[in-house]
Amino acid sequence: MKKILVKTKIQKLTACLLLAGMAFTAVSSVFASPEQDRKSIIEYFETRFVGIPLSEYANGVYAYDTVGRESWEAIEEFPPYEIAIEKGQTMWETPFANGKTYKDCFPDGPAFADQYPRWDKKQAKVVTLPLAINQCREANGEKPLKYKKGSINDILAYIAYESRGKKTHVVIPEGEPGALAAYEDGKKFFFTRRGQLNFSCATCHIQNAGNRIRSDNLSPALGHTTHFPVYRSKWGAVGTLHRRFTGCNKQVRAKPFKAQGEEYRNLEYFLTYLSNGLELNGPGSRK
Amino acid sequence: MKLAIKLLLIVVLGFTSTVILAAASDKAAQDAIAAADQARKKAASVKGEWRDTGKIIKQAEQTRKKGDFDKAIKLANKAERQGKYGYEQAMSQQTLKMPSYLKY
Repeated sequence: MKKILVKTKIQKLTACLLLAGMAFTAVSSVFASPEQDRKSIIEYFETRFVGIPLSEYANGVYAYDTVGRESWEAIEEFPPYEIAIEKGQTMWETPFANGKTYKDCFPDGPAFADQYPRWDKKQAKVVTLPLAINQCREANGEKPLKYKKGSINDILAYIAYESRGKKTHVVIPEGEPGALAAYEDGKKFFFTRRGQLNFSCATCHIQNAGNRIRSDNLSPALGHTTHFPVYRSKWGAVGTLHRRFTGCNKQVRAKPFKAQGEEYRNLEYFLTYLSNGLELNGPGSRK
Repeated sequence: MKLAIKLLLIVVLGFTSTVILAAASDKAAQDAIAAADQARKKAASVKGEWRDTGKIIKQAEQTRKKGDFDKAIKLANKAERQGKYGYEQAMSQQTLKMPSYLKY
């Protein structure tokens, strides 16, 4: 009888320890550091697509879509975003009504896309490049540009082009709890299922990356932000990253959020952090 | 003469009951639309609104204005269900759950 009791106690203890272990693993993955998240996702892709060097993910889906890559490389010979770059250069060089230029706001420009998105301590929020551009315009008495379509893409295309070769370098400053909270918020957005189709961003761009959705190959989350703004054949124009976020949310039949609203800015912060170390090669062209 | 009066009464009664029924149906459609919009707003409050819910409510409202109350109620009920499911979905996702395919 005693033996049975002892055995039961041991079983209970083992079960408790196992449960505690499982709970710890679950909790530790939820509260993993940004660098742990990034490494875990890189490891996932390295296992899923064996032999593809990490640097290749800067080319997004064309890292593994070999057929699509041929068409993409052919398109890149006569890039459809060239006009946007030229218009953007004119915008950069043309003084505002007060005589100042973008350069006065961004002394490191025009090759400074690697500095965004970033945590702004004063504003206590993530500041993206489009937001910074509009803040510069407004500070100089100019009207802000729209965040999805139109001429914001010209100036972004020029800055992206000038920044080619620089590497994604998102910093989550230590001792800034707001920055980490924004990153965590973006991470939660990325893994949250939404819309009538009950998909999260991760459902398509991690779990099913490389699988086909109708005739399209799903792109990897790694490298998602390296090539924006992007000329999409579907749009027939260059568009912003937040326009793409809007499209993704609509595709899963969720109501999209406001471009440059907190949700998408934090998502951009998280998503761009994942691509840290990858080369910036925008503007890009996609289907 | 009596027959004429009876017929007239039947016509009047028929007309009145049609008007009353139509008003009742319109009220039911309005209530259904209001309930759908409330469900949509509840889902939106937790960032769980679905893409088409607002559009379906607008369709329901337009259909009601055209006098097709049954269809309006059907549409409103569909939107209300979407609002309810969107809210439930968002609530189920309140705590971040990392997928098991990611190893830490």
